[in-house]
Amino acid sequence: MELSRRSFFKAAGAAFAASMACELTSPSQALAVEPSGSWKLVDTQESTNICCYCSGGCGSLCSVRDGELINLEGDPDNPINEGGLCPKGAAMFQLRNIVDPETRDVIKNPNRKTRPMVRRPRSSEWEEISWEDAVKEIARKVKDTRDAGFEETNADGLTVNRCPAIASYGGSQQNCEEEYLILKAMRSLGVLDIDNQTRVCHSSTVAGLAPTFGRGSMTGHWCDYQNADVILTIGSNNVENHPISSLWVQRALDRGATWIVVDPRYTRSAEMADIYCPIRSGTDIAFFGGLYKYIIDNDLWQHEYVLNYTNASYLLDPAYGFDPQTGLFSGWNAEAGAYDSDTWHYQIEEESQWDTSEGGAYAWAASDGVPTFTPPVVQTPKRDMTLSDPLCVFQQFKKHYERYDLDTVCEICGMDKDLLEKVYSIYASTGAPGKSGTILYALGQTQHSYGSQNCRAMSILQLLLGNAGMAGGGVNAMRGEPNVQGATDMAMTAPDFPGYLKWPTETKHPTLRAWLESETYASGYYANKPKFFISSLKEWFGDAATLENDFGYDWLPKTTVAANHSTIATWENINNGVVKGYFNWGMNPCHSAPNAAHVRRAMAKLDWLVSVDWVETESATFWKAPDMDPSQIDTTVYYLPAALIYEKPGIIANSGRWLQYRYKAVEPWDMAKPDYEIVDLLWREIVRLYEEEGGANPDPILNTKWDYRIDGKMDPRAVAMAFNGYRSEGADLSAGKADLLSGYGELAADGSTSCAIWIYSGCWNNNDAPLEPSAQPVGSRVAEAPGGLGLNAQWSYAWPNNRRILYNRASCDMEGKPWNPDKRLVEWNGSSWDKVDVPDFVTEKDGVPVPPDDNAFFMTWEQGARLLSYGMNDGPLPEHYEPFESPVDNPLNGAGSSPCVMFAQNDSVKRGSKDDYPIIASTYSVTEHWQSGSQSRGCPVLVEAMPEQFIEMSRELAEEKGIANGDYVRVFNNRGSVRLQALVTPRFKPFESGGKTVHQVGMTHHFSWAGDYGTGDTVNDLTPNVGDPNSFIPEYKAFLVDIEKA
Amino acid sequence: MGEKAFLFDSSRCTACRGCQVACKCWNNLPSPIEKNANRLHGSYQSPMDLNGDTRLLISFNEAEGGPKGVKWAFGRRSCQHCSDAPCATVCPSSALRVDEATGLVGVNEDACIGCRRCSTACPYDVPRYHGPQGKINKCTGCLDRVENGMLPACVTTCQPKALMFGDRDEMIAIAKERVEMLRAKGYEDATVYGEEEMGGLHVIQVLKHGVAMHGQVEEPEMPASAALAQIMKPVVGVASGATVLGLAGMFALAAGYKRDKLVYNEKTGDTLDAETGAVVKHGDGQDELSVKEHLMGR
Repeated sequence: MELSRRSFFKAAGAAFAASMACELTSPSQALAVEPSGSWKLVDTQESTNICCYCSGGCGSLCSVRDGELINLEGDPDNPINEGGLCPKGAAMFQLRNIVDPETRDVIKNPNRKTRPMVRRPRSSEWEEISWEDAVKEIARKVKDTRDAGFEETNADGLTVNRCPAIASYGGSQQNCEEEYLILKAMRSLGVLDIDNQTRVCHSSTVAGLAPTFGRGSMTGHWCDYQNADVILTIGSNNVENHPISSLWVQRALDRGATWIVVDPRYTRSAEMADIYCPIRSGTDIAFFGGLYKYIIDNDLWQHEYVLNYTNASYLLDPAYGFDPQTGLFSGWNAEAGAYDSDTWHYQIEEESQWDTSEGGAYAWAASDGVPTFTPPVVQTPKRDMTLSDPLCVFQQFKKHYERYDLDTVCEICGMDKDLLEKVYSIYASTGAPGKSGTILYALGQTQHSYGSQNCRAMSILQLLLGNAGMAGGGVNAMRGEPNVQGATDMAMTAPDFPGYLKWPTETKHPTLRAWLESETYASGYYANKPKFFISSLKEWFGDAATLENDFGYDWLPKTTVAANHSTIATWENINNGVVKGYFNWGMNPCHSAPNAAHVRRAMAKLDWLVSVDWVETESATFWKAPDMDPSQIDTTVYYLPAALIYEKPGIIANSGRWLQYRYKAVEPWDMAKPDYEIVDLLWREIVRLYEEEGGANPDPILNTKWDYRIDGKMDPRAVAMAFNGYRSEGADLSAGKADLLSGYGELAADGSTSCAIWIYSGCWNNNDAPLEPSAQPVGSRVAEAPGGLGLNAQWSYAWPNNRRILYNRASCDMEGKPWNPDKRLVEWNGSSWDKVDVPDFVTEKDGVPVPPDDNAFFMTWEQGARLLSYGMNDGPLPEHYEPFESPVDNPLNGAGSSPCVMFAQNDSVKRGSKDDYPIIASTYSVTEHWQSGSQSRGCPVLVEAMPEQFIEMSRELAEEKGIANGDYVRVFNNRGSVRLQALVTPRFKPFESGGKTVHQVGMTHHFSWAGDYGTGDTVNDLTPNVGDPNSFIPEYKAFLVDIEKA
Repeated sequence: MGEKAFLFDSSRCTACRGCQVACKCWNNLPSPIEKNANRLHGSYQSPMDLNGDTRLLISFNEAEGGPKGVKWAFGRRSCQHCSDAPCATVCPSSALRVDEATGLVGVNEDACIGCRRCSTACPYDVPRYHGPQGKINKCTGCLDRVENGMLPACVTTCQPKALMFGDRDEMIAIAKERVEMLRAKGYEDATVYGEEEMGGLHVIQVLKHGVAMHGQVEEPEMPASAALAQIMKPVVGVASGATVLGLAGMFALAAGYKRDKLVYNEKTGDTLDAETGAVVKHGDGQDELSVKEHLMGR
């Protein structure tokens, strides 16, 4: 797609462009200085792209002349960033080309590796290898490894078709089409250990938000921050790590909003904010619990909202309870070290059945071609609309947080009481109907051993104050990687199936029927799950999927316990010799994983590793690590060079669920290839081997539909058609032909429709130009005029169904009138619904408008949101526990740290005690670098701006340890030791907590041994490899260390 | 096109340094590529100073105090585009010249002879010498972009809109309004910078924590050499550096008035036309016209 020069200029500068307009029409006489050369952008062609760093989805503009990239800057038409790019985004040009300091010539970036390479066993060097040979060798290894360890049936004789010896990690740097292809290839091989960056960044968001609201994603989008009255940043340094947030927070401030930053350290965000409140790392639930109590004590909760749109009035099982002495909820099974959640459920008023008779609401479930399954029983919970019954959720909730008084909260969090009250009072003011407060958070909340409960805690707060579903409200989970949202949607995660369905397990889902019966909700939108799931199977296996063979259900591998196949567990599986072959797709676990040294040592036990990347990462070169001896390592390592984001086309999902299109600007240089071509090469070679030689059950492989090549070339547009869904009959994606569905409302459970991922259905539905991205909803580029709510309904496509604000029914009262007419998203006009945003509820049935009801959260079966949720593994309400490693005792309950911490028993964890390691440490990022630095450390301008890692510490701690600003220090614990520069700063203060002074330090984690321009120690050698029990996310944000002058 | 200015609003700046990076990328300026060539120096700031390849950098300065207990002041170090631009005044080759249309101090790299007078003349220590090229390096105001209807690269990339570019009057008005708001929020030292300094800068700044915290010069002064040059107003648009250096005591006014070659005779104080030898202005004050009036007509 090309922009005209005119639109490029038109957009080049709001106020200034207007004043320039007349002058541009005549030859400029303005300049006394003659340009030294010709205009940089003379005769260039522009194409748009999307940034490859955080999940902002900022647009970029690539200027190309004679096939080479001349310039890259922000896309002024993109309403998210309005032309702005942070330093990483602004440096994306350097991913490909840099300026030679000697000659000042533009040269290819020598740090990028664009040839396939192999490292043979015991070698200390790479060798070049042709693509053809690399693909042949890898496919052969895949086949041998799969065949040797394949399990066609389990011990009970159940067909499971799984391949435990191969693992796949990564995918959130790829485009959505590539994610689907990787997933499809890996799962069809039978892979169980499949995960991506979300596991270590926001998996706990999904695990916390979904059991509260019904979906696990950010509820709004970037441009919506401007509509907030109060912004609470907690567990995020948003202007630094999600830089585009700075634009939208500033817009809110310009409209009179107040911005509060709660963080252990005075960050760049804190400097921008109105109020800064320090908090000891890992004590967020105490902070939120105290806020709940404050809100209830002062009667600041949003009554009509809480009563009608949440489960506040639902009566709980009489056996429900919590014991502060032990810190345990009812249902604890000490032997299993886990909860049985039976007592966390509701009392049931009545039960009813689906009407599947002809003309009934669920007639589809019993119609021809739909697999037989027994529909779920519809349960109606008992409610007390006076909220006075001691067993109602509201009363139990209130009772639970009685202990969280201001003094206790200050004691735990290390806060000043006056400041805490001020923060509480300002944020609680958004409980007034019509006011909206929003929460911005990221890894400061998620990366804890109770990260999912942190995420639930924020969601609950937003329910109490009536902020969820409002413009300027909601819970803004600012996702990490550029397409981690897509990778999560696509279920590149051990427990999941695309579109937030469950991957089949051998225990709960031995058959398709069992899957349908256990996963289908009795009411709410998830009653439609059979349509979504069967349409996905149909797209997966095509004509081979029939009613008779359960649409190929048994060809999918049936997994065991998900936790045993997620990231942290995979390294144990590698260490224990179960996993022998490992794919890393733009993922660098030897650097980014907790207890990274343990991961390096485990990697050395692999038979083979395939690293698909732009540069040599620490994972691709684990055998070159300073503490490794290549002559002792037998692993064969393949490096496959991938194309950059602007060297290929595709769809990318940002944190606000917007699916935007990336256009190819230039050819991949040298031998690099798009990931979709790499997967295709590998897959077709694997298929060829199985066709010619047979092997361990070839059926799942040979029946997998792989018709995404158009005109003989792998084509992501064919995959985009699969995302959207099409009528199965007569479809031929490889010919670019299919009858595209308008959206997921058309999906059927009888195999007549095919759809890879139901939530994306509608993103590519233009049958008039099925191969033209710019003619599809994802390619739509009409930004909203200034002055509105910034929904930008015609810019890109927001899943699901182009909704911009999730749960927007809750923006209105019970009569369907907006709480705030200035923030009107939907409104009942007396006879039908007015729609500013796409309604996130049922507005009509069979063409008849549905008047307002209380079903504001229709993705739960209750169709309401949950203050208390039985869907968590570690308790139905967030309770404060200390981090796994903490120097402070827990004054709120007798448990100390969470009784449910995962993987704590593994030998590699080496838990540190507060006596040996008294200092709390946290890791975090700076705006100039990206995660493990593979990309950003490959850009000289970014290495120049932030050339090394540092540890920030208070002046008080530095004085105790005899450390001066700029000194190098050693930071160490049982797991490792690293050397970094100390920044001694007033921006960190010691905390008074647990009756003593405790110190906290923070380290950046972007450097390690690989790369041409900037290297350093691996900070993740220090972080503990323990996980949250719901999401298995590691605890990077609070652990123990000691420090000394190096 | 009227007088233009940059506006740097430190209270919107997140110190992300997108501007620092975008400046280098647009202008094809290199960064070191030897491994670990740079180090931190006890601060986020890097590099610590402008250099031959760095025209713009964000400075970091921290102290206790202010409404939140800590002040972390982000400053913008780059050319201020003075109205009374000493660098342009002393530049013997017209490589640095105040652009009549915008008031920005543009750079004609081809004309630069590497004499480095501008470096010593600048009260902000901005123009830096690039050895390998033998040229001066400083912010050009992205006049190339401006001429082509685009905003300067640093302004385009700034996400929180801490950098703006537009009519100077308008930028000053926005800055004043902003400072008032900041003072009301408790930032007592907030101030506007650039309205009067050096005859009026074309970089107007909102300094949330006061002038010094943001690394700005309290009372910038025209250095004596440049001041003298300005008084004398002998004007030279020389073709080559050799000519200039061969004419001792000659100063240059690079404001783009008229490109006659003039020379100044130190002994008599006369200003002569280099080609004809005619006295353009007598040093003994025989007439009352200034050099500029001689050159441009009254």
